[in-house]
Amino acid sequence: MSREARITLLVLVALVAGAAVAFGAPHVLSDYFVRIILLIALNAILVLALSLSNGFTGVFSLGHVGFIGAGAYISGILSIPVQQKMALLPHLPAFLHAFSLPFLPATLVAGLLTALLAVVVGYPLMRLSGYFVSVATMGFLIIVNVVLINASDFTRGARTFTGVPLETTLPWVMGWLAITLFVLARLVYSPFGRAMKAVRDDTIAASAVGIGVLRTRLIAFVTGAFFSGVGGSLYAHYLGSFSPNTFYFALTMSLITMLVLGGMGSLTGAVVGVVCVSLLSEVLRTVERGFTIGDFAVPALFGASQIVLGFIFILVMIFRPKGIMGDREFTFGLTQGSATVNQTEERKR
Amino acid sequence: MTQLDYILQQIVNAVSLGSLYALVAVGLSIVFGVLKLTNFAHGDVMMVGAFGVALLAGIGVPFPVAVICGIAAAAVTGFLIERIAYRPIRDAPDVARLLTSLAVTYIIENVGILVFTSSPRNFPLPDILNTSWEVSNGAITFTSINLLTIALTFVSLLLLGWFITRTTTGLGMRAAAEDMSAAQLVGLNVNRLIVVAFIVASAYAGLAGILWAAQAGVVQPQMGFTPLLKAFVAAIIGGFGSIAGALVGGYILGALEIFIVAFLPSAVSSYRDAIVFAVLIAFLLVRPGGLLQPNREIKL
Amino acid sequence: MIKLTRRGTIGLGLGAFFALASASTALAADTIKIGYPANLTGIQASLDGPMLNGAKLAASEINASGGVLGQQIELVIYDSKSDSTTISTVASQLIDSDKVVGIIGFADSDSVLAIGPQVQKAQIPFITPGATSPKLPGQLGNEIFLAAFGDNVQAAVGAEFALNKLNGKTAYLLTDIGTEYTTLLSDYFVAAYEHGGGKILERDTYKIGDKTFTAQIAKLKALSPQPDFVYASSNAEEIGLILKQMRQAGINLPVVGGDGYDTPLLIQVGGDAAKDTYFTTHAYIGEGAAPKVQAFIDAYTKSVGNAPENAFAALGYDSVKLMADAIKRAGAPDPAKIRDALAATSGLDGVTGTITYRPGISVPDKSVSVIGVKDGKLVLASEAAPTFVAEP
Repeated sequence: MSREARITLLVLVALVAGAAVAFGAPHVLSDYFVRIILLIALNAILVLALSLSNGFTGVFSLGHVGFIGAGAYISGILSIPVQQKMALLPHLPAFLHAFSLPFLPATLVAGLLTALLAVVVGYPLMRLSGYFVSVATMGFLIIVNVVLINASDFTRGARTFTGVPLETTLPWVMGWLAITLFVLARLVYSPFGRAMKAVRDDTIAASAVGIGVLRTRLIAFVTGAFFSGVGGSLYAHYLGSFSPNTFYFALTMSLITMLVLGGMGSLTGAVVGVVCVSLLSEVLRTVERGFTIGDFAVPALFGASQIVLGFIFILVMIFRPKGIMGDREFTFGLTQGSATVNQTEERKR
Repeated sequence: MTQLDYILQQIVNAVSLGSLYALVAVGLSIVFGVLKLTNFAHGDVMMVGAFGVALLAGIGVPFPVAVICGIAAAAVTGFLIERIAYRPIRDAPDVARLLTSLAVTYIIENVGILVFTSSPRNFPLPDILNTSWEVSNGAITFTSINLLTIALTFVSLLLLGWFITRTTTGLGMRAAAEDMSAAQLVGLNVNRLIVVAFIVASAYAGLAGILWAAQAGVVQPQMGFTPLLKAFVAAIIGGFGSIAGALVGGYILGALEIFIVAFLPSAVSSYRDAIVFAVLIAFLLVRPGGLLQPNREIKL
Repeated sequence: MIKLTRRGTIGLGLGAFFALASASTALAADTIKIGYPANLTGIQASLDGPMLNGAKLAASEINASGGVLGQQIELVIYDSKSDSTTISTVASQLIDSDKVVGIIGFADSDSVLAIGPQVQKAQIPFITPGATSPKLPGQLGNEIFLAAFGDNVQAAVGAEFALNKLNGKTAYLLTDIGTEYTTLLSDYFVAAYEHGGGKILERDTYKIGDKTFTAQIAKLKALSPQPDFVYASSNAEEIGLILKQMRQAGINLPVVGGDGYDTPLLIQVGGDAAKDTYFTTHAYIGEGAAPKVQAFIDAYTKSVGNAPENAFAALGYDSVKLMADAIKRAGAPDPAKIRDALAATSGLDGVTGTITYRPGISVPDKSVSVIGVKDGKLVLASEAAPTFVAEP
């Protein structure tokens, strides 16, 4: 079977499996496990979006959660039913009071507007590198937080933004995850993808061969922001209520941990990181409540799970800084094994 | 209160706040200068200093002794962090080091919460420090803490200046900051210098944390976060890696914050933090070397 | 392929641990399980922590005297980390795996709103000891009950106290716009105060975490004529500082506020500056407190090692007793019956006052204590129910 056919078959199998999980799981598993799977898929979307900048382009953004929050609020404002909107957000401009969008359009609009925001923000910021872009994007996150708290006519300020219909279900999240993986895979495994990696590895050399550094970084940034906005909308419709603090440093730390542990240079790495950290967190959460093994009782030690995760993070940084997957992808030998090491494979054949 | 009095009062506030920010930024700048590492754990070292004093003074230890112990505790914490977390990754890519410092922060804060609970605790100030002074018929006031902050900042930065220009260790630190490999080549014990830099930076962080808590009145394990952000802004505006830069940046930030709230209508001034960070981003774009380092070569 | 084997081992180990840990937390049956999700880490921890201590104290007292309906009660505790997603995960664990008959939790509206939809759907009665937003039952449904008075009630009492007892015809309003509680409290205060004929001369804001209020204080000082008092809607961390800076600037007006003031920090940090400060809260926990309150303080100090840190300790205590009382009256550990019994609670004596739910209303009628600071000590200034209450 030719390589093309095998890839297509694999993708089809993956889609069928994904659909089976998405539609079948709620009937077979308890609500708790369905939620865990949903959160893993949702976080995967967010971390994949993050990996585009942080991993593949080398722009380590600490501010993506600002886009997630923007997406959440925008889609929330759009999709709250009209009656509730009048009660909860009385000072909205009249035209927003007049309608409310269903889930999919609200999510798309949120994603697009967030991408637009990313163009505005990224145009100046993507010129920076190293720590400077990290600090600058962190500044962006703080600015978004302050704006959310102060623009209370739109966001209810520090008060809980509630009333968002609980539309996010497993099929929706898996669907968006499939789209995200598809788009990102096409982006990363393409000439543009190689341009991204060139910009990451050696900016000066890249621009010397004519790759537009700013343009490359900006495209990665904006695409990542679009999916962050979409993820934010999914998040909003999962929680139903949130506040500016939901999209601040705690979420940032969480997503970065998943990205780094999984491997910043690979899409599979992002997903693997999410799965591992999520499962580990759940296990730690259960364990930190205290348990008994035979006659031996271990007392509850709340807060231990965060500390353990922090230590694991440092250990990974010391011993395996590229993360679990590093640059490699999980491709069952169908395509080149990794995003960067492709020429040698070709030559070996 | 006349307009002039109002302005003078705000200037007093700005100078006092600026001194605190300068002190807070100096430790961050030292670590970046020597190690090229953005040390996110800086805020937590400040917290350790403040917490040390709060706990010791709370059980009756005389305040000056508690302060010295607090600073020492902060210095030890910095030393340990360097040893355990930063040294193994000294040659790792910048991103990895930045992330490690984030992880260290995370751990220290959560250990603090685990042991001390996240409830805010009183920071016991001795009564002599609780006084305030009035000028101009009560129109302008400043507290002893304000005066103490300004004085301590002045004295300690003078001390630091003497240290890095007159002692061999200090000079060695500056050499390492300018060119680490050259310093090694000429035979300087770079490891030792880095350790010294960390201890000095952490001691300053501890002092800054104590003064910060004295002004805030309370300590809690998460208190290091805000001063850390301020330190970043101040250090970058003034020139990241430069001690004089931290000083200049601190005063500029202090002035910026006070004047935004004092002279702008309250609808705008509630965006104060956003404005400050917008200024920071502007600096990063236009003058990444900060005010004092116009010719700084920036890694692209 | 070492990497795969390593991952495989980790996966296996995690799986085994998971199975083990969950197996061992399934305790013997024959206890009545009450879910207790708490934000023990994260930003809400300073409130939820003491609340949990109070709750555990109540549970042990109840169990020591025979339990409820002949069975011991068990608090199933999870740390929800002040994070909405963890809260929703914990909720499904409590409802599906632990099969609790009732849930008690949280001191803030954000968390209650996060858990609300799930408990309402599963029809499990839920008591929040500490959230005071009166909108919650309306937003979530009939399974949600508050154990404390609503913020509209305490703001109204504060306004009426200022108008009547302090002769405060004009006011300066300072609001912390960084938290939901303080923002709402201010809104309710304005409604009640203006309804009672008061006039607000100037409004100013700050954000939780601020340490310098000199700009706002300078504006206050520049007001002419000076207001009769200050209403400062503030959290525990800032009020001591605000008072100190105000007095240092020479402003000696009375200051009125809400239960955010109710921690030892008010006097510890405020010191002398705390004089002439009044706040509305759930119970008077000072010298000369009612014997019931004193007994609680003593028991809490004995079991935890320090005096109750804030009013939430007492609220956590009362909530468990409230739930236990409802279970007893329901006659069986059945969520639907418990819910109805809860809604019919009348005249239940607690540390934080008497709890009665009017038919169809899940925010209790509780009287509000107004506490003042005199000579560095807390004194009971008034105990009242408001005459006018703003709609939630």
